[in-house]
Amino acid sequence: MTLHRIEIEVDGDVIAAEVEGRLTLGDFLRDRAGRTGVHLGCEHGVCGACTISFNGDAVRSCLMLAVQADGARIGTIQGLAEADGTLHPVQAAMQAEYGLQCGFCTPGVVMTLASVLEAEKTPSEERLRDVLSGHLCRCTGYQGMLRAAKSLAIQAQTAAGDA
Amino acid sequence: MKPAPFDYVRAESIPHALEALAGAGADADGDASILAGGQTLMPLLALRMATPSVIIDINRIEALAGVSRVAGHNGSGATRIGATTRQNHVLANELVKAHVPALAKATAFVGHHQTRNRGTLGGSVSLGEPAAEYPAIALTLDAVIEAHSSEGIRRIDALDFYLGAYSTALLPDELVVAVEYPDWPADSVTIVHEVTRRAGDFALVGLICQLAIAEGKVSRAAIGWFGMGATPMRSLAAEKALKGVSLGDIDPRAVAELAISETEPLEDKHATAHYRRSVGTKLFTRLLSAAVAERQKP
Amino acid sequence: MAQTTAARFVGQRLPRKEDKRLLTGRGSYVADVSLPGMVELAFVRSQVARGKIRGIDIEAARAYPGVRAVLSAKDLDSLGAKCQILHGGMAPAPHVDLLARDNVRYVGEPIVMVIADSRYIAEDAAGLVFVDCTMEDPVITIDDARDGPPVHPDFPTNVADRNAPPENPALEAAFASAAHVVEATIRHQRQAHVPMETRGVVAARQGVDELLVHLACQSPHLSAHLLANTFNLPQANIRVIAKDVGGAFGLKVQPWREELCAVAAALLLNRPVKWIEDRMENLTSAGQAREQEIHCRLALDANARLLAADYDYACNIGAFPQGVDTNFLVEMFLPGPYHLPLYRCRNVNYYSNTVGQAAYRGPWAMESLARETMMELAARQIGITPEELRRRNLITAADQPFSMVTGAVIDRVTPRECFEAILEKVDMATFRVEQAEARKAGRYLGIGFSVYIEPTTMGFGVLSSEFAHIRVDPTGAIIANMGTHSQGHGTATTMAQVIADELGVEYDRVTVHEDDSSRGAFGAGAGGSRQAVAGGGAAIKASALLAAKIKTIAGHMLNANPEMISMQGGRITVEGEPEVSTTLERIAATAYADPDRLPPGMEPGLEAQYRFRSPMFVFSNAAHACICEVDGETGITRVLRWIAAEDCGVMINPSIVEGQIAGGVVQAIGGVLSEEISYDAMGNPTAVTFKDYVIPSAHDVPQIEYIHLVTPSTSDGGFKGVGEGGAIVGPPALVNAVADALAPFGGRCYDLPLTPSRLLAIIDGGEG
Repeated sequence: MTLHRIEIEVDGDVIAAEVEGRLTLGDFLRDRAGRTGVHLGCEHGVCGACTISFNGDAVRSCLMLAVQADGARIGTIQGLAEADGTLHPVQAAMQAEYGLQCGFCTPGVVMTLASVLEAEKTPSEERLRDVLSGHLCRCTGYQGMLRAAKSLAIQAQTAAGDA
Repeated sequence: MKPAPFDYVRAESIPHALEALAGAGADADGDASILAGGQTLMPLLALRMATPSVIIDINRIEALAGVSRVAGHNGSGATRIGATTRQNHVLANELVKAHVPALAKATAFVGHHQTRNRGTLGGSVSLGEPAAEYPAIALTLDAVIEAHSSEGIRRIDALDFYLGAYSTALLPDELVVAVEYPDWPADSVTIVHEVTRRAGDFALVGLICQLAIAEGKVSRAAIGWFGMGATPMRSLAAEKALKGVSLGDIDPRAVAELAISETEPLEDKHATAHYRRSVGTKLFTRLLSAAVAERQKP
Repeated sequence: MAQTTAARFVGQRLPRKEDKRLLTGRGSYVADVSLPGMVELAFVRSQVARGKIRGIDIEAARAYPGVRAVLSAKDLDSLGAKCQILHGGMAPAPHVDLLARDNVRYVGEPIVMVIADSRYIAEDAAGLVFVDCTMEDPVITIDDARDGPPVHPDFPTNVADRNAPPENPALEAAFASAAHVVEATIRHQRQAHVPMETRGVVAARQGVDELLVHLACQSPHLSAHLLANTFNLPQANIRVIAKDVGGAFGLKVQPWREELCAVAAALLLNRPVKWIEDRMENLTSAGQAREQEIHCRLALDANARLLAADYDYACNIGAFPQGVDTNFLVEMFLPGPYHLPLYRCRNVNYYSNTVGQAAYRGPWAMESLARETMMELAARQIGITPEELRRRNLITAADQPFSMVTGAVIDRVTPRECFEAILEKVDMATFRVEQAEARKAGRYLGIGFSVYIEPTTMGFGVLSSEFAHIRVDPTGAIIANMGTHSQGHGTATTMAQVIADELGVEYDRVTVHEDDSSRGAFGAGAGGSRQAVAGGGAAIKASALLAAKIKTIAGHMLNANPEMISMQGGRITVEGEPEVSTTLERIAATAYADPDRLPPGMEPGLEAQYRFRSPMFVFSNAAHACICEVDGETGITRVLRWIAAEDCGVMINPSIVEGQIAGGVVQAIGGVLSEEISYDAMGNPTAVTFKDYVIPSAHDVPQIEYIHLVTPSTSDGGFKGVGEGGAIVGPPALVNAVADALAPFGGRCYDLPLTPSRLLAIIDGGEG
């Protein structure tokens, strides 16, 4: 079986590897790049737990091959907080609003919200609610993450107003 | 749920992709799959419901992505969308909004934000999922599907493209390069709606209707459905019945019933065939009434 | 006497201690564990629901590069492993082989293990195993099971357990003379637990005869206990670790066939073996739940007071359930918080050629669904409001302690008060006006209620006790080793809140460990909504012992009566003498490093432990209201409002309480509207992915409104359980709301799930 040499920037680290064509990006990030924070909840693209930032876009890492990500810039949940441990605003909002219980779906939820906020700067609450439809959670009934979406939208709009 | 082994080819150009396709066809046990956005193919690989020997990745072929205006076949214009144009790009594209509003509206229903970031227009059109939006839009708007192979270029009318359940006119050595949507008059009536149990799911019932109006009469009608049969469906008899009818004379219920009679909905885990017919009829009746009333406003 | 424990943290919405690691991707779930030399496991599973295995050809799989072993049932014989049925235990249970041996009894039953260098390779090779199997007509449904051939050849029928009380002439007489008799059959479909993390295990031999098992479970201690029994190994040699677990809902109470297989493989192969269930396996082979039908009859007098209730209940528990006689709680609590003089419940569990049942959040929830649905049907039939019918029949504070007709005694519950609280919030008069207006516009709004009591804590069997070992370490930090366990419950937070209060220290100073069976001692973790009462009780009692020792030492050091010592924020003072003080750090330093300065005869160190005897039942209760709209065009139901008034006693952390309620309510929404595990006539599962097993998404839920009533229990701390309630009381509220919405059409649907197709059939029928 042919191996493919790839180089991927993951959370700022450049990782080089030789991979089989069939290795999914999700498995690569978990098993070869040490990003076990990328969770595989269904491996068929429905649950959203494995969502990462791929060149800035929120995508399902179970629905890509690692080899496709050669040369890409990937962000995972593990690269989001500041080096000193300060939480990213999305992480902080999720904690403040009890947006998680078991934490398994959480990395995907956080990466979606963070990437949409990064790309769109001042998304509305409606917009953030809309993108949450791409995530399944079995613990929380979505109550906390919907509150977090609301508070993030308000924060973003307030910050934009101040600027 | 891990994919079976395959050879992976990253196509650097259209000829490279075609060469790889032709090469795969030459193998005795060869079957190649084109990897576009992967939002459908990847689950099939993970479930081992698809076990191709070769995967040809077309995502790096720059010539395949993008939206442009081209000349249409009857003198009017058309909007050409490259096969690997991401669904979220289709959603945001101004040319699409201006010239193919049905496609723009339908894209908002396609999957979720996260899958639209990868999913492509061409991938969805070529797969022909009967409950998906894009094949039905292509079918309804008389889109032309441009397929390339090492033998040359074929331009396939969408009406001739969807042959059966997940079966299309695309030959094993052909690659969908672009889909062209001929222009409709700018003031056409556009109805796109779907019923799902959960946002982003495939449609239980999906409807597309476009009407060109000239001098108070329907000059052209197109009616299509998704989730209403083993393929995307088109209601040609209902279209014909509408043509030339004054807006005031349209009987929405009769049109809807005729249109539904041309569909062949199936029963599955999510809905009965009766359900699909009943909902389709009511949905189309209501939306057509509203659209006609809106257009008749002074 | 000095106040030691002013409640400062219990009752507060403190941030969860679990969150920081989970929000930064630093959690440690079983799939994240990787050990040197580890190999991965994939199963070859039965593709027929019922048949005999004639032969298995594993040669091609064994020869596949990267394959380390291919094992079938006979290869495990040397281990003598017995898969243990945990729940109940009175009825005879079928023998459960880890791998199917001669017969297969459901599609998905594990037959062969393929162990390879990676899961990819294991799946490749699993596809090369050929199982030659006969195909017999399977027993799939309850109806099939009643008179079909026995699923288990050594059992005479498919009846796993039956309770058939004799005819009761008084009950029949009540029905014969009742002013109103209401009758209906309610069917609940089969469901899957679908925690977002599937099941999984990494097992490895350690040293000479020890076993390390990383396991997605609900209790490391209980799992170690069950593994010891299964493999006939000393429990002392088994260490189970479960740092983070991604939801469980009953599915992970006990390691079952697949997890046990992975452990068996690790024992046989002498290398670490990993099995992570994939989602298709999870939907087709992990324990399932519900699939019940119940025929209900209520008799009421002319004043709409309940005279008698008669239920006939059946459940399909699959081929190899984790519990055989699981119906006693349904039977015990069907009468609910109502006056009911006469009662009978016949019930039966059937085996079938389907996946076996595992406990799922509120396993006895059918009692609430049946009773509360019937109450609203009765109100409609009699022609009074459901509010009025409940008011005439609900028990009140004055009735308590109240002996139910089943013998259970309930006390300190507030069903009537909760019900009145939601009515106040809803404002029925206004709603009925809105509803009437909406109907004129072709919009079908409905409201439904439900009221219930819940037996929590379940202090029997392995759930009888809970354990806490709490110490002040030499630096003054508080470390608790507990038998509680969180799969999202946040027990490291709630237990720390309890302990911080009892010891008069800051919340940040307390760390709770509950992830490792080699720490602390036996405790059953999550199950039966027990952790607030059982864990909280153990935490309080152990803290009290520790506080007493701290005070004794402080009194000795400060020349004061220990009873006059006060502990607050880690500062230790003498009542009335504010200038005399010491700190927990200094007491800890003394206890560990300067024991000669301790009171004469006192042992060094600063720790205490307590094993708490859990009460049998601590009753919590709730009333819920749901307002929904059924779309007249599509039959799709949208939940518009959900109001929950519950009484779970003293709340340790209200946000965590609300999280438990919300999770249960949304599982209820899924169960009523969309989730369905189904089989075709040959027993093939027809919902094998998340495309077909439809759980609610963020767009399908309203913002839940909470009302908290607090009636402390008599257990330490005044806590009651709250983990399962939303999934028990939730379903009937929504079923009733849909029925109310569809009232203009004259039809009703008590066959769950209430799919758009089923509801539209009623709507279309009613239009004719």
